[in-house]
Amino acid sequence: MKILVFGQIRDNAIEENVLGILNKLSEVFADSEISLALLANQINNDWVEELGKHGAKKVYTVEASELENYLSYPYVKSMLEIIEKTEPSLVLAAGTVFGEDLIPRLAVHHGISCAQRIVDISLDIDNILFHTPVRDDQAMRVTKLVGAIKFATTRTGAFFINENPSGKSPEVEKVEVTFEAEDMLVKHIEIKKAERTVNLKDAKLIVAGGRGVGGKDNFQILKDLATLLNGEIGATRACTDLHWIEETYEIGQTGQSVSPDIYIAAGISGAPQHLSGVKAKTLISINKDEGAPIFNYSDYGIVGDLHEILPILKKKLE
Amino acid sequence: MKIIVFIDQIVSTQVKLQGVDFFDPSKVDDVDLVINPTSKNAIEGALKLKNTFDAEKEEEEEGAKVTAVCVRGLKPIKALREAIAMGCTDAIEIADDTLYTEDPLLLAKIYVGALEKIGDFDLVFLSAEEQSSSSYAVGAMLAEKLGLPSVLYAEEIENIDGGFRVGHVLEGGRKIVEVPQKALISTSDSQYFTPRYTSMKGILNAKRAVIPTWTATDLGLSANVVGKEAASLQQVSLTNIVIEKESYIITEGEPEEMVDNLLSKLKEDEVKLGA
Repeated sequence: MKILVFGQIRDNAIEENVLGILNKLSEVFADSEISLALLANQINNDWVEELGKHGAKKVYTVEASELENYLSYPYVKSMLEIIEKTEPSLVLAAGTVFGEDLIPRLAVHHGISCAQRIVDISLDIDNILFHTPVRDDQAMRVTKLVGAIKFATTRTGAFFINENPSGKSPEVEKVEVTFEAEDMLVKHIEIKKAERTVNLKDAKLIVAGGRGVGGKDNFQILKDLATLLNGEIGATRACTDLHWIEETYEIGQTGQSVSPDIYIAAGISGAPQHLSGVKAKTLISINKDEGAPIFNYSDYGIVGDLHEILPILKKKLE
Repeated sequence: MKIIVFIDQIVSTQVKLQGVDFFDPSKVDDVDLVINPTSKNAIEGALKLKNTFDAEKEEEEEGAKVTAVCVRGLKPIKALREAIAMGCTDAIEIADDTLYTEDPLLLAKIYVGALEKIGDFDLVFLSAEEQSSSSYAVGAMLAEKLGLPSVLYAEEIENIDGGFRVGHVLEGGRKIVEVPQKALISTSDSQYFTPRYTSMKGILNAKRAVIPTWTATDLGLSANVVGKEAASLQQVSLTNIVIEKESYIITEGEPEEMVDNLLSKLKEDEVKLGA
């Protein structure tokens, strides 16, 4: 079986989720041929080598100034060319904002639907099964796609990256694509990077707040506890979006990924977009709502008001 | 200016229905049916543009029209009345038992059918995603089918000469693009799109509004194109996720007791808080 993966580039490197997909595919489809599509203004050979290490047998590259930044039309056009050349049975992309833009469009061109945000992929007798968690991860919907070619995005953070990859240099094939003015109707202006002045990646303890914190000033309670415990504070996107706290503190799919020993989640409901960025040894949560999904992932929890609980916790720990 | 907003009606995530029950229509009460929160953001986006347009237009010029269209949901008419109460000028319900809306490609085909019947339009708004079913694909599919320039996961919109400058969600920041005036925009739940409340005038309009219902036949679509039999995305199973994680959740007691309880359990398990 032939599989094609969209090799998204992020910050001049292969997007980590792509490496996770490669690891998963090598587990599930051991004897399939895995190819990567790399689209860029200029292909960096390090990317190609890294993909080979992680299991790519072949890398198709398209180099063009139009591909310097992700835009739907030129990327769709390039991918369609590669798909035509490779005739894969399965096309995958990480469910990043770009991957989720690309895959449905490619599927439309092949007259088929797509599976979305999968966390697992499996084989039964003659089908590929796609596993997508729904209802705040309370239920699993398994779907199949009817058609010769199948398209899916994976949930970000769903797959582990092989820490000791040992693949060989892949074969590289250049694909020529020409672009017209109509491919550039949407114009890239700029990317405004969120300021990441605080590095939460190495933090051993994080006290993170969600919508339940209730306001800007209330983050002080979290800060006080974090300071006492030599930790850092963090927040969900909802909080940074409401400007309760600077965006540098955002944790989750669109923010930082963290892996502390202890993660104290205060007033966080536990949306998949947030939790995909959290890999903690011990998760402690405090939430007023007993039904909040966060409790399903917690090692310890208190059903209560964080505004009462956190100050008491701090006092007892002093 | 004519703006079309496609909205979804969903079962409120606040209901107590857990796991697979959430997706069982027989367990859902009408009061639990709400507009998908990010669909409300889409309505807000359309209304913001309408307000700007109306404020700047010549006196004799007609005001901008925002038409809400709902296909997905158990009682679309309820969602549409709320959309009018928020400020949409009119609404169209698309309801037909043959329509299958769980496959984003079929939904996109139904939307294309609706737009063809509507005729003229300048902009299409819709929600970037529907979180409880983890579905987001319809926006990109619709844009591709229509051949319309698009921006997905918009966070803010600025009017510029000949189009819009739109910031959209991006991992680690925000991306800014420019799209022509005739475009498709899907909205995120950013603060910019915080939905307005319904107004008294809007509620009266909603009560009086005559909302037409279009069927598959009205759209020139048959079951073998948009019915369940035509779906290429098929559900194999839907099961509850049982998490085997052992959790120690304290649900009762005074705040102080609960904290003591937690701390002694952490001590017992040799989990250290802080250095």
